[in-house]
Amino acid sequence: MTAETRLGLDDEDQARWALRLAEHPLIVLATVLVVLVLVTGVIEPRYLSVSGIRNTVLLAAPLGIMAGAQTILMLTGGIDLSVGMIATAAAYVAGNQSPNGAALAIALGLLVGVAAGTVNGIGVGVFRVNPLIMTLAMSAILLGLFTALSFTVLQGSTTVAPFIKTLGGGSFWGNRIPYNAVVWTGVSVLIVYGLRQTGLGRLLYAVGDNSVAVRLAGIRIWQVHIAAYAIAGLLAALAGILLAGRTGAVDLQLAVNFLLPSVAAAVIGGTSIFGGVGTYGGTIFGALILGVLATMLTFLDAGQAIQQVVYGVIVLGLAWLYARVTGIG
Amino acid sequence: MTVIGERSRIRKMDWRRWLRRHGWTVAAWALLLALIGFYATLIPRFGAFQISSIAKNSLPLVYLSVAQAVIVIAGGIDLSVGAMLVLTNSIAAQLMVGQSFPITLIIALGVILLAAGINGGVGWIISISRVPDIVVTLATSFILSGVALLVLPSPGGGTSEGFRAMFTGSATGSGTNFWPSLVVMAIPVGLLAFWMRRSRTGLSLYATGSDPTAAYLSAVRTARAKVVSYAVGGAFAALGGLSALAITGSGESRLSTGAGFTLRSVAAIVLGGVALTGGVGSVVGAAAAGIVLFTLSPVLSAMGIDPNTAQVIQGALIVVVMMVAGIVEVRRQRSE
Repeated sequence: MTAETRLGLDDEDQARWALRLAEHPLIVLATVLVVLVLVTGVIEPRYLSVSGIRNTVLLAAPLGIMAGAQTILMLTGGIDLSVGMIATAAAYVAGNQSPNGAALAIALGLLVGVAAGTVNGIGVGVFRVNPLIMTLAMSAILLGLFTALSFTVLQGSTTVAPFIKTLGGGSFWGNRIPYNAVVWTGVSVLIVYGLRQTGLGRLLYAVGDNSVAVRLAGIRIWQVHIAAYAIAGLLAALAGILLAGRTGAVDLQLAVNFLLPSVAAAVIGGTSIFGGVGTYGGTIFGALILGVLATMLTFLDAGQAIQQVVYGVIVLGLAWLYARVTGIG
Repeated sequence: MTVIGERSRIRKMDWRRWLRRHGWTVAAWALLLALIGFYATLIPRFGAFQISSIAKNSLPLVYLSVAQAVIVIAGGIDLSVGAMLVLTNSIAAQLMVGQSFPITLIIALGVILLAAGINGGVGWIISISRVPDIVVTLATSFILSGVALLVLPSPGGGTSEGFRAMFTGSATGSGTNFWPSLVVMAIPVGLLAFWMRRSRTGLSLYATGSDPTAAYLSAVRTARAKVVSYAVGGAFAALGGLSALAITGSGESRLSTGAGFTLRSVAAIVLGGVALTGGVGSVVGAAAAGIVLFTLSPVLSAMGIDPNTAQVIQGALIVVVMMVAGIVEVRRQRSE
């Protein structure tokens, strides 16, 4: 009798814990992040220093911004497989226009992102093309277009202006805080505020949750889609320009490898691929976790092959853990 | 008299129903024929060599599109089929080098079974973890392509001449005999299509993809359907890897190859009439779309368009087809 009661209590306790964690998924993510940082510190004691953490943030910032684009679209039930190529295209334009001044270069780069995003939005919102296909095709179109343009109109500069270099790779306050982290913080505040407090932000969740209900409530869903994809294009372009600043030069492979990690960061952060569920706060943790992982694997001196395998196993493990703890798919 | 009239009426309705159900598949094949016909008018001599070239070089994408189609029809999506193609290609190239034809056949069989086993395991993980398909297969695409790099760090390996001839029609991978390519394409795809429409398990894939809850409540073993669809998909991805090995004669484990193949396989199935929401379409349509996607590049280059512009056109064409399909779908929904 007593044993049974105790067992029942245990179950109840466990259920309560699971519920508490499910209500605050960020606790799980923060724990994973801290554990990863500590493990990395054990592997390489020098990592647990200001410069070690700085490097991780420097790595994570462009990814975090790109994953922000992915988060916004996943909330609407969409996905953007062209973020990597949009970022690359924007960075390429920024690099090409760098001789004309950093301001113009950045502005034109961002414009490329907004334009590509808007076209994606029109395809998905107005013509109801599946987001996977639309953005996949956009990616192919951009790659072909920019390869062709790089021989003609966009010939010339492939290095970025000093200002962009500082923005993407420099740090201040005695080399402690990277500038791109400041940009990321600003973007984060805007996204978190936008998703929580603005009408468009709430609509993104609503469309992802039940688009039929939203339509019947008198909302023009296609406008929401176009806005979401345009914002995602803008964010991807910004990430691409920061990335170009970090590497100092642009090429047409620059951000292509960021596509899958951007999805992974959002997923690790608890954003549902089916739409309507997720926060940008989670995605920030997702990007940081991936950043720490990348650093750890560099310290372990693992070859590219091992890195890929470990990366995959950890993304799968975290997603599984997350699904178990929160009960959300 | 009336009975006969009745019967012919039923037959006519069956015919219409068949066309309605398979309209997209028929359209995909018609598009392919039109494209090849157009290609024939573009080049000075269209003969066995060109047919052979299209048939054998489209094999990897066709197998991969079929792999993706099976999985999507059963309600999933596999972003790791390209990585599986690269992995099986690397393993086979590493094992087959310097072996005789019978040995390479046995190795090929082993590789296919291995891929089916691995991908079946992926399907099992998806069904027990309840993590969305996209996420799990995204992670496994990292893992599989990493393992491929471990197996074959730099391009190399090889296979037997007989094995190359089996897929390409000639021991050197280039010739005018197109029959072997057509046969190795038609038989597995045909068998799979028949199995999916006629067998209990095959139909359970459609049921699960169409509405997993309804299927489960109707005593369909949905978890089993998921595992089976992924296993079959893995086997076809392995066929893709093996055919790529037969075409080039050596293995290749570059990461970007796999990602590009995966993306094209998704484009192909949608073009072939498989709905990404599951339960709709056929592997036969996906196969046709796979050939169409491949054939676009020689057609565009025969039109004198440079490869970069051709890529832009290819992407735009896919979007336009999908936009038209989207509008048709919207109008049909409104009229119903």
